[in-house]
Amino acid sequence: MFIYIVKRFALAALVLIVAVTAMFLMIRAVPGDPVSIMLGPRATPELKASLIAQMALDQPIWKQLLIYYGDLLQGDLGVDVFSGRSVADIVFQQLPYTIEMISLSVLWSATLGIALGAYAAAHPNTIIDRVAAALSVSLVAAPAFVVALLALLIFAVKLQWFPAIGAGEGFWGRLNHLVLPSFAIGLSWVGYIARLVRASMLEVMGENHIRTARAFGISERRIVMSYALRIAILPVVTVIGVGMGFLLSSAVFTEIVFARPGLGKLVIDSITTRNYPIVMGAVLVSTGLFVVSTALADLINAILDPRARSAD
Amino acid sequence: MNIKWTKAPMGRRNFLKSATALGAAAALPMGWGGQAMASTAGTLRVRSYGDMSTMDPAYSNGVFDEEIHASVYNKLIQYKPGSEWGWQLDAASMIEQTDPTHIKFALRDDIGFTNGHGAMSAEDVKFSFERIIADETESPNKPDMGPLSHVEVTGEREGTIVLNEPFAPLWSIALPYIAGNIVSKAATEAAGGRIGTDPVAESGPYLRASWSPKEKTVLSRNPDWKGEAPAWDNIEILPIDDENTAEIAFEAGELDFTRVSLGSVERYRAGVPNGGKLVENPSLFYVWLGMNLDHPKLQNLKLRQAIQHAIDVPSILEAAYFGAVAPSTGIIAPGLAGHRAEGQIAPAADFAKAAQLLAESGETNVTLTLDVLNKTTFTTTAQIIQATLASIGITVEINVLESGAFWDSGNNENLQLILNRFSMTPDPTYATAWFTSEQAGIWNWERFRNAEFDKLHADAARETDIEKRAEMYARAQDLMEESGAYRFITHEATPIVHSAGVTPGLRPDGLTLLRYFGKS
Repeated sequence: MFIYIVKRFALAALVLIVAVTAMFLMIRAVPGDPVSIMLGPRATPELKASLIAQMALDQPIWKQLLIYYGDLLQGDLGVDVFSGRSVADIVFQQLPYTIEMISLSVLWSATLGIALGAYAAAHPNTIIDRVAAALSVSLVAAPAFVVALLALLIFAVKLQWFPAIGAGEGFWGRLNHLVLPSFAIGLSWVGYIARLVRASMLEVMGENHIRTARAFGISERRIVMSYALRIAILPVVTVIGVGMGFLLSSAVFTEIVFARPGLGKLVIDSITTRNYPIVMGAVLVSTGLFVVSTALADLINAILDPRARSAD
Repeated sequence: MNIKWTKAPMGRRNFLKSATALGAAAALPMGWGGQAMASTAGTLRVRSYGDMSTMDPAYSNGVFDEEIHASVYNKLIQYKPGSEWGWQLDAASMIEQTDPTHIKFALRDDIGFTNGHGAMSAEDVKFSFERIIADETESPNKPDMGPLSHVEVTGEREGTIVLNEPFAPLWSIALPYIAGNIVSKAATEAAGGRIGTDPVAESGPYLRASWSPKEKTVLSRNPDWKGEAPAWDNIEILPIDDENTAEIAFEAGELDFTRVSLGSVERYRAGVPNGGKLVENPSLFYVWLGMNLDHPKLQNLKLRQAIQHAIDVPSILEAAYFGAVAPSTGIIAPGLAGHRAEGQIAPAADFAKAAQLLAESGETNVTLTLDVLNKTTFTTTAQIIQATLASIGITVEINVLESGAFWDSGNNENLQLILNRFSMTPDPTYATAWFTSEQAGIWNWERFRNAEFDKLHADAARETDIEKRAEMYARAQDLMEESGAYRFITHEATPIVHSAGVTPGLRPDGLTLLRYFGKS
């Protein structure tokens, strides 16, 4: 198990290096003079020269990359060009908002999706199964930005049950402000997870150990909850791990639509203003989040199913 | 001296009252049972388009920062809220131009800085203005101060602003806008010469109580402010990029004030939710189609004139701006010196004349590229231009560019047609500054070079007679139009909505002056 963990995290580190290097090169390949964009139209040539030197933009790309990794190894993510604040401070100030939104989305969508899928699998080809199937497909097909706007109009404007914008203050305030964004992001996942769990459950329910359990007279409820679901849930764990990337990208528009602070909005704003240090800091952290969640999903899989360890 | 410092003591009774209120607020789940509406309990909630980036006026990034700086700092003079451009005294009790290069001022005796930095003095004014122009400050706002030489301190609260040459925009840009904010010399020096994202000493009617990046900035009353008391106890400024989100938040009762999209104006004209009001302000922005005079395809004046006459501005305004804006006659908006009542080319297209000019040009099979920013308004405008130019036989290929690439177009020598939009401060010199020969290939993307224009721009900035200035700027715009490189489209508009209990304090272009927001 230890070797497995080392291997997984070594792979995660490699992915992180490749992603950060690729982003570093890509942002510099984007057209547009970053210094003019950052300083605006009235910047003097001296001021531009000063910023170019400060950001090492007068150096060859490979040297800029080396400088970046050198600073990174010392834990220095750089400084925001506009405010002079530490990039690490800025990124880690925004990160909790995104994590709490994604976590709540995963939590509610996985809970409901697993329940819906398990129930449908336990009652195959019944009217309930068919309704659940139709509902799942409909939810998968619902674009999150449409859900977000409709949710805003119905629950914030019309009914005024939930706030429309911001992140709130205090535990209840923050939770209240999370309801609509996490609903928008998580809704399509309910359907996806439900379909996945149903298919996986039906496969597991046909296996020998389930038939044996039935022969022993164990209740159907216990068979589903204790024997079938534990195995059927494995693909869900993997999907959620990999789905972190999707959720992070969903967070971008959700943060814009709900005017929430967060990593996604930070990245978009920074790319628009060519604020390289912030873009790199935010990408490093979000990529880190993605690779760690993928590695954790693999580890959970390995714990739940020892075959996953030997197969790797 | 008329300053009495309040320590705002928190006695046991006050502490218990505050703690009870906070506890109740924390324990009560918001939302169920109805959202707290904006503008309750003396808190005004306004939308800003972006987040603040600094509390240092020398490094201000523009409107987002200035909204806050204008509330927590003072200037000698401030913009007057209303529908006409003008200024009123702020920290100055007297200000007078004694000759074209000397402006005497005296400060009020009741303005002080927070954090124990004492009364505002002429030394603070000198420090604030001179640090903007100092090379070592590297302030991007240095051009606002124009030919400022120095500030002479003649008394504790008296001084004289000395210019190297006359500078008319001193009264419309330098003093009442970003560069005019007065900071505490002692506090700024103690902070190492640069103020970061936290204020070091404030003096305005409001104090910056808190800042949650990308979420909100909270201003609260300055207990030591001796001027006219602001109407609101607190102001929450929420940075919201998206116009639709802001409109939804307003309709949900979570905002008291926001700019709205032009596409929503018609809907709000029919009625604003919750008894609110729509106010349609003009804007200083200017939008135009430019032609690169250095490009081989655009060397023919008749061809350029054909393009000018073939563009139908009313169609553009109807389709891209939902009929909510008026056509422009140049780069200088109504209300500013130099605005032309009429341009040389009427807004409506004259296709017969355009076709005739094209025939006279001798150009055939003309195909041109048109670069535009990737915003719906501009892409729609570009499509209409494409269609109207096609009607006289000119083919247009539209290049849609992301903002970073678009704003780097000065470096693009292959640029042909470009749909552009610049912002403005309320002085005509800020408009003409970008079209001088010196700016060719930098911000003058048409690469328009005209010696008379350059001279007019330089002379008009020094001219203090308003009528003469106006004539000079009008002539400058005539020259632009005569070059055939420009087709002026619109100055846009700034429609805003506000809730029933709010009286907005706005500049004539609809931008906020938060300290002047009232209650109704």
